[in-house]
Amino acid sequence: MIEMLLTPHVEQYFILAFILLGIGLFGMMVRKNLITILMSLELALNSVNIAFVGIDKLNHLIEGEIFALFTIALAAAEAAVGLGIIISLFRLRKAENVNEIIDLKG
Amino acid sequence: MLNQIAFYIFGGISIICGLGVVIASNPIYVVLWLLGALIAISGIFFSAGAELLGALQLMVYVVAIAVFYILIITAVPWRKLHKNEQHNRLIGVTVLPFIALLYVEAFIVGISGVSITKNKIIEAIIKNYGNAETIGIKLFSTYFWAFELMSVLLLISMIGAILLGRKEEKTYD
Amino acid sequence: MQSLILLFPLLSFITIGLFGRRIGDFASGVINAGAGILSFIVALITMLSMKGPEDIVFYKFLPLSNTSVDIGIYIDKLSISTTVTVTFVASVIFVYAIGYMRYLFGNWTFKFFAYFSLFLFSMLLILLGDSLILMFFGWEGVGLASYLLIGYFHEEKFATKASLEAFVMNRIGDWSFILGIIYTFWLFGTLSLPKLFENASYVPGITLATLLLFGGAVGKSGQIPLHTWLPNAMAGPTPVSALLHAATMVAAGVYMVARLYPIFSLSSTTLSYITITGVVTMLFAALVATVHDDIKKIIAFSTMSQLAIMFTALGMGFPTAAMFHLTTHAFFKALLFLAAGAVITGLHHHTQNIFEMGGLKKYMPITFGAFMIGALALSGFPPFAGYFSKDAIVSSIMDKNTLVATLILIASLLTAYYITREAFVVFLGEGHYHEEPHEVEPVMSFPMLILSFLSLMGGFLLWNYFSYMNSPIEAPSSFIAHSIYGIIVAILGISLSYLLYVKKFVDPNTLYELFKPIHTLMKSQFYTEYIYHNIIAKGYLVISRLVYKAVDRIIIDGFVNGVASATSNYGKPISRLQNGKLNYYALYMLYGVVFVFLLLILIFKGGILNG
Repeated sequence: MIEMLLTPHVEQYFILAFILLGIGLFGMMVRKNLITILMSLELALNSVNIAFVGIDKLNHLIEGEIFALFTIALAAAEAAVGLGIIISLFRLRKAENVNEIIDLKG
Repeated sequence: MLNQIAFYIFGGISIICGLGVVIASNPIYVVLWLLGALIAISGIFFSAGAELLGALQLMVYVVAIAVFYILIITAVPWRKLHKNEQHNRLIGVTVLPFIALLYVEAFIVGISGVSITKNKIIEAIIKNYGNAETIGIKLFSTYFWAFELMSVLLLISMIGAILLGRKEEKTYD
Repeated sequence: MQSLILLFPLLSFITIGLFGRRIGDFASGVINAGAGILSFIVALITMLSMKGPEDIVFYKFLPLSNTSVDIGIYIDKLSISTTVTVTFVASVIFVYAIGYMRYLFGNWTFKFFAYFSLFLFSMLLILLGDSLILMFFGWEGVGLASYLLIGYFHEEKFATKASLEAFVMNRIGDWSFILGIIYTFWLFGTLSLPKLFENASYVPGITLATLLLFGGAVGKSGQIPLHTWLPNAMAGPTPVSALLHAATMVAAGVYMVARLYPIFSLSSTTLSYITITGVVTMLFAALVATVHDDIKKIIAFSTMSQLAIMFTALGMGFPTAAMFHLTTHAFFKALLFLAAGAVITGLHHHTQNIFEMGGLKKYMPITFGAFMIGALALSGFPPFAGYFSKDAIVSSIMDKNTLVATLILIASLLTAYYITREAFVVFLGEGHYHEEPHEVEPVMSFPMLILSFLSLMGGFLLWNYFSYMNSPIEAPSSFIAHSIYGIIVAILGISLSYLLYVKKFVDPNTLYELFKPIHTLMKSQFYTEYIYHNIIAKGYLVISRLVYKAVDRIIIDGFVNGVASATSNYGKPISRLQNGKLNYYALYMLYGVVFVFLLLILIFKGGILNG
């Protein structure tokens, strides 16, 4: 049993990635404050990075890490723009709660 | 073997911190939990042999992005935050079965097997040059176009963020 | 060169239509008349220089796999002789029309002349076209011109109703005609006239085809049962009545049957039906005309009757006699109408009721002479033109079928009676007028003189015509002997009306009281007009209103509105899914991802698509 636990398995990264992904998705849906929604999104993006590294290990490639690099850059850009939008929304509406910004209704 | 133990430790920390991100009420606490999760994930990268990635994760995510979040939370005058209104409990209950379904599907895919290639060329190169240099070789030769595009993307997002965030002093008719 | 015959009226129509406002009404009239005269000259030259039947093709309109529909002219003896007649009469009437419409100049009268040119062009298409399609184009064109011209006084409700009635009844005939054309094409595989004549041989189904084609002639020529439009068409100006509804357009039906005679002669059933239609209409129109009192309607009924005689001749197998009667009829009928128009103009358009006129002989002598010549020609009094043509028909039929010939003689008796009745009432006797009527101007009387001359002398061309068309006719001496019945009948009719209306042998009023029910029966055209207008037309309107209320509003609108409201009602609950909250949108995306993932698993790993 300990033997099995101590040898590296191929799928371990994937399992971890999925768990974190599920947590991140759950957080995106449950939370009400806009900023906390974005933070759960960052968690989900990181889970994807773990999955990329897992693929790397599986197929003996290096492209996974490169793509993970791009994903980090993308997450940074998206965080910047997203927070800018939240600030503008706050200035307009004086609200940071998802329940109060329902312009997309109907 | 040590790798495996490191993986387990960091993995566990990341899961606990992830749960903390979802459950915590105060946004500042949420940022702190997120910080923990990011550092743990960086540790996972290191244990998997992706050293450049781990370092970049620390530098970009932990230092830049998390600090950015803290800045926004503290610098913008929010209203008083109510502790009990931070979660949509109704949706939380509704969504759990679907995430369970997602896991089941992933499990099915995982059970049926994934493909493995046999050649180990890359590992020889990594042993020779080291991880960072290998990534550099690949990035600046095969994926150069994507690299430049990412730079442009960051530039655009920078401009966008600046435009979005500035204060309008005049009103436009 | 032969295309010029068609081209002149077409160019005149386009010119007057486009520039009529600028060049003025009088110039439009001159262009119109000039085009007619030029067409006549070219047609005459063609007839004199013609060697044999020729088919001139201008343009391959519709090349199909084993045949083709062309646009071209077919010139043979029948078509060119009729063309010469038609263009001549048309030119004469065009000149007359300039004088007749003069009192309306300044009121956009160039439209009138444009419509006239359009009419002549379409009529020539019917006469000269070398395929049934071209004939149909011309058929529709003259129908259109008739509608435009009858309704020319478009501010009068009666005129617009009459033009619509004419067009709709014409259309019913055209429906039958086009079905006949389609069936003919189906049977013979070609629409081109020369090829049809080559391939004409008996095939089963030809009776139906010829009956349908004849249906078109019934509508166009105002035979029973499509006849009520012809007296009502007198609402148009008199030149229109003269040209369209006397000499040319209504004759198109007769021409069509004569033209397609190689096909018609193959089916004896159709020929019998044509004869029956002709006989019934002939007697009907003659009876009705004896009791009417509108100066133009009497002449209209006589047109109906004379056309019926032509159809009888065609049905009995004598196309040449029918065509000759058509030629002479064009002359004296147009003359009668022109004279009637002169009377109307001379009375300054006060009245058209003959019993309000009288004694016009001393005011309008030229018109009186013209009308009398026309009336005598129509009665068949020798040696006027009508005598020769009508008795050619009667003597030809007499040998074949005595009953039909007798009926024609009875109709001739009635014809002589009513037309001389009209002449005597209008011109003899005494009349009381507010303004003194005056003779018409030379522009109008000169055409009347030309036509009078032709009505007088034209009959002597009988033998030339028959030999030109290679048809047998008896020698003059036996002709005169055989026509004794016709002469007797004509003299009887004239003397009867003379006694009644000039000498007042029997007081007309007591006669009227005696025969009043018969009078009403005949005046209302044996109630056909009542049946058509009030029962058929109004009934159709009532039914359609009912259908509108029941079907259209409830069922169709209900269905369409129902679809719309169902969509709206089902959409509302679904639109509540979009509540604007970000969390819910992320939730829906998760649903979508899970579902697609499931599908992918089922397809690739579970083999759903493989069955």
